[in-house]
Amino acid sequence: MDPIRSAFEDDPDMIDIVREFVHAFSDRMTALEDSLAKGDLPRVRTLAHQLKGAGGGYGFPQITEAAASLEMVVEEDAELLVIKEKMSQLFEILRAVVVSEDD
Amino acid sequence: MNTELPNPNRVLVIDDEQSIHKLIAARLRPEGIVVTGELDGVRGIARAITESIDLILLDVGLPNLDGFQVCRKLKEHPSTRNIPIIFLTSDSTMEAKIRGLDMGAVDYVTKPFEQAELRARVRAGLRTKRLQDILERQSFLDGLTGLWNRPYLDQRLESELNVAHRYGRPLGLMMTDIDHFKVVNDTHGHLFGDIVLQGVAEELRGYARRSDIVARYGGEEFAVLLTDTPLSAGTFVAERLRASVENRRFEVHDQVVTVTASFGLACTENIVGNVTPEALIDAADRALFASKDAGRNCIHICEGGQIVRVTGSAGLIEAQ
Repeated sequence: MDPIRSAFEDDPDMIDIVREFVHAFSDRMTALEDSLAKGDLPRVRTLAHQLKGAGGGYGFPQITEAAASLEMVVEEDAELLVIKEKMSQLFEILRAVVVSEDD
Repeated sequence: MNTELPNPNRVLVIDDEQSIHKLIAARLRPEGIVVTGELDGVRGIARAITESIDLILLDVGLPNLDGFQVCRKLKEHPSTRNIPIIFLTSDSTMEAKIRGLDMGAVDYVTKPFEQAELRARVRAGLRTKRLQDILERQSFLDGLTGLWNRPYLDQRLESELNVAHRYGRPLGLMMTDIDHFKVVNDTHGHLFGDIVLQGVAEELRGYARRSDIVARYGGEEFAVLLTDTPLSAGTFVAERLRASVENRRFEVHDQVVTVTASFGLACTENIVGNVTPEALIDAADRALFASKDAGRNCIHICEGGQIVRVTGSAGLIEAQ
């Protein structure tokens, strides 16, 4: 997958919080994986819901889209396999995100 | 009297996602707006009650209390009722929007939001708040004298009594009534009567400190709430006011007219029994009636259930 960049990377009001948002991806992925492993689907749904709400605002419409798909399959009580599939698609996008580290 | 509207505007974000707080803060900062955030409804409500907040951005999908429940509680509480609420949520169904607006929210923004749209909607919400504040202020002012009106005094009396009780400070209430006002009206007309009311109001306002609340209580009766003021200091204020009303010269058709006023004073420190708003008003009222009975243009105080005429400080000031 091609690298994904925030639409707001050049916005001086935004760059600091975009970096912070991106740096927290690994924690979010861990939380999603752990919740799914424990069978805590409401928590998976909440975490996906939060990423859906925040992604676009941080300049990542792809994250909002993928998180919305994950939230939807959890809401629909889909097969575990389908949920896992949607989660890995979301993770693929999160891992493809790059952000400039120098000011 | 503080007539300034607070600046800068303060927006409270209630959302369970910290990154949304930061995003909104970054987006609203260029508008000169200060953003604070809470992660759940209970804390959010507490924050809105204790701090001065101009607008609330409220998420629907919150843990514990959901956004609609939070909205209902905010609309029920007297100190948060007038804060405009904008729902902020990824639920874009028409039913959710209608439900939110029907519960008293002013607007609805769906996440992820466009920054320009968010800013414009927040600006519109803040405009609503500003107009509401002005309207509320107007509704608490007496049109003729520009003093606070009785509903405002009643409201402040209650909250100032709480403050006085909590910090163990004395709260004084001075009631004053223009003597023979009906005669003034009948002799010189109601327009002149209005000028007298305005003149007396000006004297009261002139002597009041910033923290005092000066109100037209009704007709030709005025009330002054004296914060942090024991009976002795209140008596001093009353005597100065009595003298200043007596010395003010009103002119009508090349004729100089003077009026006098009677005063009654009570203080939370000198009330027997429960210190309620009614008890304080009743004590000051009884003192005022005693001044009327004693021939007017004088001051009585209510001291532990006894009504006493004040002569000491009056004599002292007049002798100077």
